[in-house]
This record gives sequence, C-alpha cells and structure tokens, in this order.
Amino acid sequence: MNFRKILNRDARRYTLPQERRLGAGTHSYLPELCDQLGTGRIGRRDFLRQAALLGMTATTAYAMADVLTGTAPVRPAAAATPKPGGTLKVSMRVQEMTDPAAFDWVEKSNVARFMVEHLTRTRADNVTVPYLAKGWEASDDLKTWVFHLSEGVTWSNGDAFTAEDVAHTVNRWLDPATGSSNLGLFGAMVEVGSDGKKRGIANAVEVVDAHTVRFNLKQAALAMPENFYNYPTAMTHRGFGKDYDADLSANPIGTGPMSLAEYDVGERALLKRSRDWWAGDFHLDEIAYFDHGEDTNAHIAALASQQVDMVYRVPNNLIETVKRLPFVDIHEATTAQTGVMRFRVSHAPFDNLKVRQAIAACMDHQEILDKAFKGLGQVAENHHVCPIHPEYAALPPLKRDVELAKKLLAEAGHGDGLTIEIANGDTEGPWMTDACAIFKNQLAPAGITLNINKMPTNQYWEVWDKAPFGYTAWTHRPLGTMVLGLAYRAGVPWNETAYDNPDFDAALNDAEATLDVNERKKKMAVCEKILQDDAIIPQPFWRSVFKASNKRVKGFSTHPTLYHQFHSVWLDG
Amino acid sequence: MLNLVLRRLGTMVLIMLVVALLLFLINEGDPRLIARSVLGPYAQDEQLDAWIMQHGYDRSLFVRYFEWISRVLTGDLGDSIIYKRPVNEIFWDRLGNTAILAGVTFLVMVVVALVLGVLAGMKEGSTQDRVISVFSIATTSVPEYASAVILAGVFVYWLAVLPGTSSMTGGFSVVELILPVLVLTLYGFGYIARMTRASMAEVMTTPYIRTAVLKGLPYRHIIMKHALRNALIAPFTVIMLQINWLLSGVVVTEFAFGYKGFGALLLEAALRRDIFLIEACGLAAVFVAVFTQTVGDLGYTYLNPRIRFK
Repeated sequence: MNFRKILNRDARRYTLPQERRLGAGTHSYLPELCDQLGTGRIGRRDFLRQAALLGMTATTAYAMADVLTGTAPVRPAAAATPKPGGTLKVSMRVQEMTDPAAFDWVEKSNVARFMVEHLTRTRADNVTVPYLAKGWEASDDLKTWVFHLSEGVTWSNGDAFTAEDVAHTVNRWLDPATGSSNLGLFGAMVEVGSDGKKRGIANAVEVVDAHTVRFNLKQAALAMPENFYNYPTAMTHRGFGKDYDADLSANPIGTGPMSLAEYDVGERALLKRSRDWWAGDFHLDEIAYFDHGEDTNAHIAALASQQVDMVYRVPNNLIETVKRLPFVDIHEATTAQTGVMRFRVSHAPFDNLKVRQAIAACMDHQEILDKAFKGLGQVAENHHVCPIHPEYAALPPLKRDVELAKKLLAEAGHGDGLTIEIANGDTEGPWMTDACAIFKNQLAPAGITLNINKMPTNQYWEVWDKAPFGYTAWTHRPLGTMVLGLAYRAGVPWNETAYDNPDFDAALNDAEATLDVNERKKKMAVCEKILQDDAIIPQPFWRSVFKASNKRVKGFSTHPTLYHQFHSVWLDG
Repeated sequence: MLNLVLRRLGTMVLIMLVVALLLFLINEGDPRLIARSVLGPYAQDEQLDAWIMQHGYDRSLFVRYFEWISRVLTGDLGDSIIYKRPVNEIFWDRLGNTAILAGVTFLVMVVVALVLGVLAGMKEGSTQDRVISVFSIATTSVPEYASAVILAGVFVYWLAVLPGTSSMTGGFSVVELILPVLVLTLYGFGYIARMTRASMAEVMTTPYIRTAVLKGLPYRHIIMKHALRNALIAPFTVIMLQINWLLSGVVVTEFAFGYKGFGALLLEAALRRDIFLIEACGLAAVFVAVFTQTVGDLGYTYLNPRIRFK
C-alpha cells in the first residue's frame, strides 16, 4: 500500500485549507510515520503523538489513524448534553501564586490554568494537540520550529494575543534572573555564558509576524510542543514582569475564560467565568478551590460529606475508603509519576561508583512496589524512562544481587559495612517512608545500614537538591527525553544528582534529535544504560495516580500529571 | 497581694524576653537562611547577598535583636513568606478562629467535666463513680488524631450527618464546629473530671461535711454550698492550664479537620519555615501560656487563703 499517497489524499481530506497553507500535515517525515503505523511498527497512540508533534491537527491525525489501521472511526457513545453553569468545588492546596514561569507545584498551575493558557495541550491520553498555537512545523533537522498562533485571542485587559507575548514569555524563561526551571527544559535554546551561567542563546525566539513565532535551536529538539504544556510554561502578557510586577495573583491578566475573583493563600481561590472563551464553550460558571490543609484525610472527608465535588488526588491508602462512597467516581491514571532514591554524586561516599552500584544492587523493586504501594503501578529500572513513554527501550531486567553488592562494597573500601542516611519528606504520601523502610531491610544483608531522616514535606523541598541521599518524587512527563533533560543533563537547575556525564548528554542530545520512534528507542537504550550503570538513581517503581469526584461532575478525565482540564466539565444537578 | 501580683507580672515579662531572644536566635541567627526562605530555592547567591544588604541583615545580631523587639512592641510582626502579606493580616484572624473553637470547647468541656467530676466524687467507689471514671480515663487515653478519625468514621462516613472538614469556607458554621469540639472535649474533659472527682472525694470526707450531714442539712445544700467551693480549688489550676492547651495544643485537631486556626497556622509556618510567622505564633503561644499560668497562680491564691500568707 502506498501510504504516502494515502497521506496526501487524506491529509487534504481532513485538513482545512488554512491549515494546509500553514503546512499542517505536510512534514516530510509524515509519510514514513504513516508507513510505520500501517505496517504495525508503531502503535496508534505513538502515531497520534508523533503526528501531533509534527503539526497535524488532532482531527486529521485521529482520522488518518482510522484509515491507516482500517478501523472505522469510533463514534463516542451518545453523551448527555452539557448543562451550563454551576460551581465546581475542589479540595486542593491554595498556594501563593506569583510568577507562572517559576511555578514549582502543579497546584499553583491548576489555579492559574483557567486564566493563563499554554501554546499546546497534552490531553489525558498523553497526546499533545494545538491550543494557543493552532499548528506548528519543524524543520527536518528539528532545529527550527515555527508555531502559528490562533487568531482572535485576546487578553483579559483587551490586548490582542500576539507573537510578542510568546517571545516575551519565552525570553523571560531563558533569563537566569527569572529563576525558571524552563531553562533546563528548553536546553536546546540555552548556552553557558562567560560568567558560567546558563542563558538563552541569541535569536532563540524570533517573531516572524503577529501570529507566527520561530524558535531557532542550537541542537535538535523533539519535544518542543510537549514542553510547551509543562506546568511552568503558561503564556503571560507582554507586560508581565516588565511593565508591572511578575505576580499573577496581583495582576491576573490572561487569555483564559476565567478571572480571579478571590484569592486567599491557604484558604481558598475563586475563579469566575468572566467572558466568552475564544476556544469554544466553557460550561462552568465558577471553580472554587478550598484549602483543607496538608492532611489528605481532611480532603477525602470533605468529599465524603459533599462539601466539595472533587479532590486533587486520592492517596493510595484511602482508595478503599473512597470506593465505598456510593456517590463518588474514582479515576485511575497510569503514569510516569515516580520517586527516585537519588544520590548526589558530588558527595562522599556517593561519589564512589562502586558504592552506588552496591546500594542499587540490593534493591528488589517488585517487593517495594507490592508492599509500599499495594502493587498499584509497575516496577522501574533505575533510569527514569517509563514503559508508557514512546521511546522506552526495554533493558535486561534488574535482579537483586546481595553478593555482588558485598563485593562492590569491599572493593570500595567499605568491607566492614557502611552507614548511610536518606532524606525523605513523604512529599507524595506516607508510602515513601514505607518504601525507604523496605529498602532499609533489603540493604541490611549487604552490611549497609540505612537511616531514614524523615522530615516535614516542605523542609524536604529545601534540601531536595542538596541532600547527599534523598527520595524525590517526580511528576509525569509525556516523553522520556523531557525528564532526562530536566533532571540529568549537566548543570540544569533541577539536576539534583549533580550528575555531569558528557557521554550521557551527547546520547540524550542524539535521542532528542531523532524523530523515528524506533530509531529513538535504540538511542534511548544508550541513555538508559548509562544511567543504570552509573547507578545514580535507585528507582523502585512507577505509580498510578487516583482522583475522585462526585458523580454529578461530568466530562472529567484524570490527567496523568493531575493537571486540571475542566474545559469540558459540567455539573449535572 | 499587690506585691505578689507585681512579682508575678515581672516574672512574666522576664520569661517573655528570654523566649523572644531564643526565638530570634533560632530563626534569624543566620541571615543567609532567612534570605533563602524569602527568595526561594532557585535564588542565586548574588540575589541572596543583595537581599541581605537591602534588608539590613548584614548588621550585628545584637542591633537586629533590639530593632526586632521594638518593632514587635509597636505591633509590626513582619511579612509572611508563604502568604506574601503582613503577618498581622493573617495572624489575628487565625487567632480569632482558634479563640472561637477554644471558647466553645472550654465551655462544653468545663461544664461536662465539673458535673461528672462532682457526681463521681460525691459517692466515691459507687457504680456511678466507677462508670464516670472509666469513661473519662478511656476518652483521655485516646489521642486526638485517633479520636478524630474514629468520630469522622462514625459521623461523616457511616451516619453521614456531619461535615468532614471545618474550614468554614462558606462562612461561620456551627455544624462544622461540632466534630472538632467533640474531639477536644473528649480528650480534655477527663483530666479536669478526674481532678474534680479526687478533690470532691477528699472534701466529702472532711469533718465539716460530716457535721453538716449530721446536722440534717439537705444533701443538695451541702454539696452546692459547702463542698463545691473547696473542691474547685485544685481543678482551677488545671482548668487554667487547659486554656493554654486549647490555644497551642489544638494543632492536631485543626490539622485533621482543616480548621483555619492558630494551631494549623503554627504548624504550616514551621513546616514551610515562614520565620516571621513562626516568631509571631511562638510569642503568642508563650504569652498565653505564661499569662494563663500567672492568672492561675493568682486565682489559686485568691481561692485558697492559706497560700496567700506563705
């Protein structure tokens, strides 16, 4: 079958004339991608993700997938007609909300999400689709990306949303003074200055016209569209942090349908629909976030007594309790959320490779998953790439080997035993302490004594990138390359391990520059193997996440990163 | 008596000054730590240095301490790091919320404890005494975090008659106050009841009560007029101590029910190292502790003339 022919025919069939003018669906790699789907070398989800990355509209991509796999388009079950209006009440921490570029908690971005919006949107099925950008194209070498912005979008202060806003926002991220983690995320637009600090490269962001932005990268980057939906990447107005303070709660100017009616840190946030949404219907009148403190029992109790319609998340130890509530739906999402017991390789004794390998060799991943998280997830492999990532490459399974650990420890000069301490703040729940306790038992036969330094959650975030040995939770990201670039590339702000390996950086750069998912898997296998061999992150498991909502909440699906996407949500009764 | 009052007040001021010094040294001893707390984990070294210079934290500890003390005395408690607002704007609201919770709990707890304590102490060793004693010991033995879960399990999840959280997000609600008050009362009343019972039992064995009984006075009259006042002297100090506990010891209950009170604020400030909030909360908690203890001592002296002359 000539897939190139089908693509050309169907791309025109499903793509609007204006989208074709923008080049949507015409990237030179698309025929190959279609061929891969048609011959079964990649799955439907991989095809959708890749096609969206290359600028094909979601409608076109889904329709193409149907044609190429020979399946009839699936009609959604007859859904009830959404009812407009109502207040959705959610139990979630209400934290201070200043600069979206510096957000360090998803909760902050959830409140901001209905005011300030993103260029792209990664849906609950992990596929990234257009949002403020209506389409994009990448050059064949993936070093130039052109984003076409939706027209007719305005800011809440009346200004038109233009390429100037995008350029201003992205340039702020690339300015080290902003202190944004996006500096690591967009490494392809970053260089090291003469003062040793990372900053944006010259001409990284180029305004082509009022609705077109070009990103000029120093190296190929695959995940640009995905990166634009990371939680600190909301677009802010061109005057934000320039003409007025970079404080969203004081200057809530956004493109979204809602405005901030009340904002009381630690108490509540009230968003009210203040205007028609440029992207279509928005059913809810209000979204109210209530802060019930740190105790997740209180959140679930609020759901049980119907004081709220939804909770931010359900901890695994309360899942059975929530299941017993007859008026509540529980939603599970398989994710790449995890916790890594990471070493800071600049600190003794973890600067010794053999010590790290000895500790890692003692880990029985399945036992920790089963006992600490009731088996609600899948085992990890000490390299932070998840089986649900499209570029995941399976390496030989890890096996616990205490004898090897003893041998390595003796070679490292710790034949008489070793005492270490892990810092843990239970940042995602008490299961983290349980995991540490189980690992402590697994280390004991090798002569390693693990002391658990249990500290308050927020105090852990003060030392997460300083503690010699710590248990850090990482959220889900759609691509494996994204998290490796954020966490393990030398010198990036979130490199908590102080890992600095030019071979790894080169391998990651190579993987990021490869569009063919099968080829990329091979290159990711190299990255994974380097991380595994260097033993910087004993990583027990990937965990599923759970949300719960009252049955009257309709049109909701759980996002793997717990991002709130309420654009289709409505309340029944 | 005046001398005693003045001496107690002087001691109170001295304790407050020492506590203030400790709070200051612990929280503001290291200027770099303050700058890090204020500017966040991503702030660079130059930003920290600039902040330290700009806010005068490069001066000596001694100068900064007296400056801080004078600011506190004029009512300036600084700005909260996590709330991005003056501490004064948050602090008094939260203190007020806890005062409501503590006030209601205090009323319920003291009345219940005194009634049960007197009932138990009136007839020491009776079935009535044993039932009350076992019940009060049992409830006092269950910590708040456990009773909060048990009561929520019964009234929120099983019977579904009470709200599970008490954050008062829709305005003040008496119904939302029920569970926290119940938890605190169950935990706190047993202590007072046991003290009252012991005191009452002791008074009931005294010769003047026996004389009153032998004189044929009505039993109710003996209890109310002769026994109660003397029996209340010992529990009075315990009751005064409960005020202190109700302010700073309700952290667990406020946390469990999401109640926006002083205890939850103190916990949050400590967890997030909001130093100016910690200092304000610390000073308030110690002030209430010292103040109630002073009032307790003075009240005890008033109720018991024998103390006055020692």
